[in-house]
Formats: sequence, structure tokens, C-alpha cells
Amino acid sequence: MLLAAMLILPATAALLALVSRRSAPWVTLVASLVVLWLAVVATLTVITHGPLVAVHGGLTLDALGALYLLLVAFVGVTSSLYSIGYLEVRHRFATRTVPRYRQYHPLFNLFLASMLAVPLLTNLAEIWIAIELTTILSAFLVAYEDRAEALEAAWKYVVLTTMGAMIALLGILVIYAGVHHAGQVPSWAGLVAAAPLLPPAVLLTGFVLALIGFGAKAGLVPMHTWLPDAHSQAPAPICALLSGVETSAALYMILRLYPALTHNSGIPGANAWYLVAGLVSAGTAAFLILQVTDFKRLFAYSTVEHMGIILTAAGLGTAAAHLGTVYQLFAHALTKSFCFYVAGLAAVTLNTQRIKGNSGLLIDSPLVGWALLLGALAIAGAPPFAIFIGEFQVLRAGFAAGQYLATGLLTIFIVIAFIAIVVQIGGLVFREPTSGQTPARTLPVSSVLALGFAFLPVLVFGFYLPPPLRQLIHQAAALLGGAV
Amino acid sequence: MEQVLRFEGECVSVFVAHIVANLLQVGFLLVFAPLVSGVLARIEEMLQGKHGPSIFQTYRDIVKLFNKEELVSEDASWVFRFAPFIQFVMPIFVVSLVPALTAYPLFFAFMGDMVAAGFFLALGGFFVALAAMDTGNVYGPVGASRTRMVGFLAEPVFIMVFFSVSYIANSTIPYAVNAAFSASWVTAFQPAHLLVLIAFFMLILAETDRIPVDSSSGKVEIAMIGHSKNLEYSGPGAALMKWGGSMKLMLLSIIFLNVLLSPWGLATSMAWGDVFFAMPRVLLKIMLFLLVLASVEMSLAKLRLFRISEFLATAFVICLFAMSIRLVGLV
Amino acid sequence: MQTLELARVLDGSFAALSVLAGLGVIVARQMRGTLYLFIAHALMLSASATVLAVSLHSAHLVWVALITLVTKVVAVPMVLVWATGAKVYGRREVEHVLSIPLSLLIAAGLAFVAWSVSQPLVQAIFAQPFAAINVPAGLIAIFFGAFTVAVRREGVAQLMGLLIMESGAFFASIAIVHDLTIIAEIAAAVDVPIAALVIGLLIRSIGSVTGNTRVGQMVRLRERR
Repeated sequence: MLLAAMLILPATAALLALVSRRSAPWVTLVASLVVLWLAVVATLTVITHGPLVAVHGGLTLDALGALYLLLVAFVGVTSSLYSIGYLEVRHRFATRTVPRYRQYHPLFNLFLASMLAVPLLTNLAEIWIAIELTTILSAFLVAYEDRAEALEAAWKYVVLTTMGAMIALLGILVIYAGVHHAGQVPSWAGLVAAAPLLPPAVLLTGFVLALIGFGAKAGLVPMHTWLPDAHSQAPAPICALLSGVETSAALYMILRLYPALTHNSGIPGANAWYLVAGLVSAGTAAFLILQVTDFKRLFAYSTVEHMGIILTAAGLGTAAAHLGTVYQLFAHALTKSFCFYVAGLAAVTLNTQRIKGNSGLLIDSPLVGWALLLGALAIAGAPPFAIFIGEFQVLRAGFAAGQYLATGLLTIFIVIAFIAIVVQIGGLVFREPTSGQTPARTLPVSSVLALGFAFLPVLVFGFYLPPPLRQLIHQAAALLGGAV
Repeated sequence: MEQVLRFEGECVSVFVAHIVANLLQVGFLLVFAPLVSGVLARIEEMLQGKHGPSIFQTYRDIVKLFNKEELVSEDASWVFRFAPFIQFVMPIFVVSLVPALTAYPLFFAFMGDMVAAGFFLALGGFFVALAAMDTGNVYGPVGASRTRMVGFLAEPVFIMVFFSVSYIANSTIPYAVNAAFSASWVTAFQPAHLLVLIAFFMLILAETDRIPVDSSSGKVEIAMIGHSKNLEYSGPGAALMKWGGSMKLMLLSIIFLNVLLSPWGLATSMAWGDVFFAMPRVLLKIMLFLLVLASVEMSLAKLRLFRISEFLATAFVICLFAMSIRLVGLV
Repeated sequence: MQTLELARVLDGSFAALSVLAGLGVIVARQMRGTLYLFIAHALMLSASATVLAVSLHSAHLVWVALITLVTKVVAVPMVLVWATGAKVYGRREVEHVLSIPLSLLIAAGLAFVAWSVSQPLVQAIFAQPFAAINVPAGLIAIFFGAFTVAVRREGVAQLMGLLIMESGAFFASIAIVHDLTIIAEIAAAVDVPIAALVIGLLIRSIGSVTGNTRVGQMVRLRERR
């Protein structure tokens, strides 16, 4: 019942938002708060009592799913809080287009519901449908500001991710057929149980198709071309959801295939797939950040990089590396959403998204300037923020496991990205403000509140992890390693 | 299949019967080809909602032309005078090689295979194209060059059709191909068979100058592809060209229907009654085919000249698929 | 054995026709033509599902065939024409990224690649009689759909490429998956018209904001110096 409520609630909120435009933002906020509370309760139950099952086995929740569920719920809350004020500000100062305000909140709620469904559904094919729905429902959220660039970004986003989803469909169905033929229920648990019995060709073909397909959705190179466009043209709260949580959904699918792949004896280089895919993405993104000219695109490329880091971490193979993987997934979603919130505020302050030709944000608007600087440092992996802990854990585990080449490359890429991000954002934030800049606007209160709430976990989890959360991460990492 | 193909060592009466049946096939083509043209023209007009000419109109045209005087330009060479005869005779050669009335091979059956049939038809086209350039008329060479363009684009498709079909049947003799495709009614639905049919149909549209390659009823000279070769002829020469053109259409439909599609209606025994009654059955098949041909033509538009290569490239790739399906031994 | 042989041959013919329909979507000039070819592809999917259902005595596949017929052959075209506006379907793509004969030859090459990629899977698959036909045909459709998105400039043509990919994924899966839950089946089927609706509305917005639907030529977003 708990699990079903988490899906029904946002759907009802969508209906209510469709009916009443005035109360739509508040309905969304309340719904997402309740969902967060339900998610916390469900997670605590999962930590202590093991996987939850509901609706005759139609919905399940285990540790890894609970982790992701928490992320979706939390980012949903901050995002809905942030949108209350942010949309007003953008609306008032929008230049020539009339945004689709009526559709925003209903679509937001449905989008949230589809992302909540990903960790909750049991059947593999149904999970694919949820992932496909996340793309379809967010198409008009990306195209919210009806400009030609936003429409172009939305088109590329929808077409490339739907292509990926179709390829992944075949992969999922092949795996589904295999699991069913091995006599197991086609769910994640059933997949892990059936993995040793599957013919290697079936598992490998399904995995490669799913990697390409879901990789396109997660923004892995070379299918990442839609990501900078979509994540820079969408409004900031949507970017936070897209970058933080939606790409993580696709990555979650790829990660859940990992235990099955490694437990099948007929596939010798299972880890190598993850290592190569991850390193290629991380490396390309690191170099791409060097030449970016728009700070929202910078954060988008940083998403690609972190997706690569997480995949590489999974491919390193040891239990310590898996801990790092799960932690990095967790930390990235929280940090990236914070970065996009501050990027949205910076775009409102500067009235542009370009890095070149703007500087002195620290002096112009201290709140936004400091937040941007801290966000950049956080996402680049500086201590004492959460991402640093994750990356450190991954690198240490990698060297301990003897994977010198992969870990060495990963270190180099992380360092390059760090330098690139700090240099770019530093150029924006430091020095004298450029003259001729329009004076800073009053920032909307709800957005600043949301910024604060989003910042808390980023800072706190850098040096303190509450015991339930620590337990959750350990359990999730164990699932990644193949425990049942 | 073995007993269909052997005829050495049989008695003389069977031998003579085969020759007579072969001549009967030639007569069948000669007599009914203008009727086929007439019926096609009538069906096309009726599909457009008009009344259309009588189905015997082509006979009347040929008789009228035979009674007229022939005028030949002084600059024309022997090619110009020779070409109508070649256009008239080539389909006669080819029809002796293909199963037009009988499912068992006749006297000339092994004298040439499908490649030879293609060669004969191409020989006819070659001489006619040369003759079109012979007179110094403006539209003749234009039409000749366009016909050659369509011809060389259609060549790869022809070859691929021959290869696919002979690969499936393990022989290039039309009678053997016919027997292979009709071995059981299950093989009639084979994907390779289906694709070859589609490709050959597109080829027929190209070779007989039908829409979408050339408009068969329009007479705008500057847009003509195949019909400009007939412009300069008069009297008996024009009659032979017209008759030869109708025979080519009937021949290609006979090849499509009897060799590729299904041998229904062909005589399977040597009784004369059987062979005679094959004629109306084959004619019925041809009429149904003409109905399909006319409907396809009416639903398409004439392609611009440089788009004809795309049309024929599609036919080529379809054939490539047919051959690949067969090569990998799927079905 | 005769009926199994007939079923295999029929299924092979439907698969071959579906490959042809995919080929047509790559090169068809008119947008309306691409829509009709997608409908043809979906019809072949239904037909193949029916043949498999009769031959394998599977009620589930009968449902698949019916649902495909209703959603892809009837609902999707209606939804699309409503969402994008009928005017868009009169458009023709006059200049192509690659010339049509070249696209056809590349498509033939892609078909070969798809076939060879599907071979290890087909050989490992647990004695399903139709997998050898359907899986390569489905994978070929997926490759053709991706190629269509790559080489076509018009929005509707790219959308048809996506729909052909989905159709192809199902074409391959009806031979190997015999019992998707009813919820998954219906949801997957309903998902296609919804996707078509959203993408169609997006095409309409692009048309009204930029004036044409040549999405392949929208290249404003890039790193500017």
C-alpha cells in the first residue's frame, strides 16, 4: 500500500494541477513532501526488514531501489519548491514567448511519478515502459520556453533517447525471455538468480543492446549529444530533475544488469564493458568541459562525466569499489541538483547563460556567487563535499584492486575535469564585475529556500553519514555485488 | 522433374508433336499480342472513368498500317529499314524458349536459357535505339539515349533477378525454374520468391515504358522515352514496330506469370485438347495481370528522369535481399 | 510438418515485406508515403504474430496481433495526423543528405550487419522455430530506423524511423517472449500512441515557431566562441 501510494499521489496531484492553475504549485509541493515522507518510511523498513513487496508482487523495493527512490523523492521536493518562485521570475522577464505554464505542473507530477515507478516496479518490461514514459513526459518540460533553441533541444532529446529506448527494449525483451526460460520470475532478483543458467549469447546480446539503449538515455559517449542541449535549454528545476535523477534512472538500469553479467561464467570480460564505457564517457566529458561557453552546459557535461565515473567504479569489481559506486550515484544526484538550482539563479541574475564576457558574480550578487563557487567545487570533487568522499573511495578501491591502468586514467580525467570546472566557474565568479551589466534582480524566496535545502545534504554527507543511510548504502552495494 | 526434362530417346511422333506445339506458341503470341495491348489500353481508360478505345483497335491499326505506303528518309541507312524486322522477330525467338502454353519443355527449350532470352530482348532494343538515331529527327536520339539510360540502369536488376531465380531453381532454363517454383504450393509463398516477383514487376514497368518510367498514352515528344523510337516509321515498318511492341509486353507478362508466378493453366500432358485449352487459361491469367498492372500504373505518377535511377535502385536492392535470404538458407 | 513449413514460409514472407517497408521509410520522399509504409510494417507485425499464434497455439500472441492492429495500424496514424496537422503530411523531402541509391545500398549493408549480429543470439536461443526469421528481421528494422533518423531531415520522417524501431523490437520479441504480463503488453501498446502524440505535438510546435519542420537543419545549439 505504501508503495502504491507513492505512485498514486503524484498522479492525483497532476490531475489537481490540471484543474486548478492557481493552486498547482502548492499541490505539487505538498504531494512531493508526502512522497518524500513515504519514501523515507519505506526505506527504513527496507533497511531493517529486507525487500518490500506489494500489489501481488507487482511492486517491490529493495535496498538499491530504495536508495534511488530516496533521491527521486528528495530532488522532487527541492525542485517543486524551487519552481514556485523561479517560474514566476522567468515568466515575468521572458522576452517574447508565452511559456506553457498550464502544462508545467501536471507534467511535472507525471514525470515525477514515472521516475518513482522505476525502482518500484517488479517486471522488467514494465520498468522499461516507465523509463520510456519519463522521456515522453519531459519532452514538453524541456521545450517549456517556446523558443527555437528550446524546441531544437527538446527534439534532439526526445529522438535520441527514444532511439535508445527502442534499442534497450529489444535488449530487455531478450533478457526477459532468457530469465523466463530459466524458470525465474522476470524481475531483478529473478535475473540475478537465473544469471548462471542463461546462455552467454543471450545475456551478452541483451546486455549490449541495453547498454547502448540506456546509455543513450544516461548520456554516455557517443550518444550524449542531446545532453548539453536539453540540460541547458530546459528551465533550471527541470534540469535538476533531468540531470540529477533521470539520467541516473538509466544508469540504475545499467547498474542492475551488472550482477547478472558478472555471475555468468560464459562472459569473461564483464567488468571490461563497464570500465571501457565509463572511461570513454569520463574522458570525453572532461575534455569537453574545457571548451564549454555556457555554464549550464558545463554542468551538463559534468553529468556525463559522473555517469562515466560511476560506470567505471562499477567495473572495478571489488566490494569497496561497489560501495563507491553506490555512494557516487547518491552524491551526484544531490550535488547536481544543487548546481542546477544555483545555475538557474545565476541565469536570472546575469540574464544570460554565457561564461565569457561575464565576471564578478561574487561582488554583484554574493549569495549566487558563493553558491555557484561552492557548487562548482562540490561537483568537481573538492573536499569537504560528498562527491569527494565518493571519488576518493572509488580511486582507493581501484588501486587496491590492482586496476592501475583504469584507475590511473580515471584519476587523470577527474583532475582535468576539476581544473576545467574551477577555471571556468572561477572566471565567472571572481574579478571585477563587467560594466554594463543589468543590476541583480531580487531572487525569489522559494528558490533560495530550495537552494538551501539542496545544499544541506551536499555539505553534511561530506563528513557525516547517518547510520541508517550508511546501512542502506552497504546493502545496496551488496546487491550490486550479486547478493540476493 | 526428371521426366519433364528428358526427351532424347523418345519416338519421332513425340518429337514432331513438340515442334508443332512450339509453333503453336509462336502463333499464340502473334495472334493475341495486339489483343493484349488493346485490353490494357481499354482498362486504363476505364479506370480513369473514360470509355476507351475498342479492344480490337490495335488489330485495326496494324492492318491499316500494312496497307499504307512506307516513306524512308534518304539519309537513313540499312539499320533503319532493318530495325522493325528485328523488333518483330526477337519476341518470337524468346517465346520459343519460355513456357507459354505447356509446362513441359518443347523443342527449342534447351537452345537458350534466361540469359539468352535477355540477350535477345536487349538485341532488339539495341537495333531500335540505333535506328532512332538514324534519321536525323530531333526527338529520335533524345529518346534513344533515354531508353539506353533506363536500359543500363535496369541491367543490374535483370542480372540479379536471373541470378536469384536460377539460384533458387538450380538451373537457368525457364522450364526448370517453373518446375522449381511450383514444386509445392508452400514454396509459392517463399520470401525470396515474393521479393523476386516484386522486383521483376518493377522491371516490367521499366522495360515496357509504363508509368512510372514513361507515360504510355501521352504523346508529348519532349517527355518521351520509349515512344520516340516509333516516330519516324510509316506503313509496314510502323506496323511491325507496333506489333513487336505489343509482343514484347505480352512476352514479359508471360515470363512473369508462367515462369515466376505459378504454372496454373499450362498444359501438363501432350494431348492436343490440353494444349489448345491452355490458350484461354493463359489469356485469362494475362488479363488478370493486366488489371493489376493498370491499377498500379494509375496509382503512381510519372517519375522525373533522374529519379528513374532511384526506382531501379530500389528494384535492385529488393533483388539483393531476395538473393541474400536464399543464400543464408533461411526459408 | 507441412503446416510448420507453411507457417515458416509465410512468416518469412511477412518478415521480408516488413524489411521492404523499413527500406521504404528510409527513401520515401513524401511524408504521407512514410506513414503508409509504417502502417505496412505494423500490418506485417500483426500478420507475423497471427502466424506464430496459430502455429504455436499461443493465445497471448493473438492478443499481441490484435493490440498491434488496433494501436499501430489504427490509433497511431489517427493520433499523428491530428497532432501534427494534416498539412505536414503533404511535405516532400526534396534534397537528401545522401542520394537515394546510396542510401539504399548502405541500408542493404546495414541489413547484412544486423543479420550477422543476430546470429549468435539466434543460435543460442532455445529451439524456438521462428526465432531465426523474426529476430534478424526485427534487428534489421531497428538498424533501418536508426539510419532513417540519421539521414532524414524532416521531423515526420525521423518520427517514422523511431516507430519502425519499436515495431522492429516487437517483431523480434514475438518469436522469443511468449508471455509478457497483460499489464506490460497493454502498457507497451498504449505507450506507442502516447509517444506519437507527444512527438507529433512537438513537430507542430516546431513548425509554428520555426516555420518549417526540417528538424535536421536545426543546428543553432553548439559551442559558440
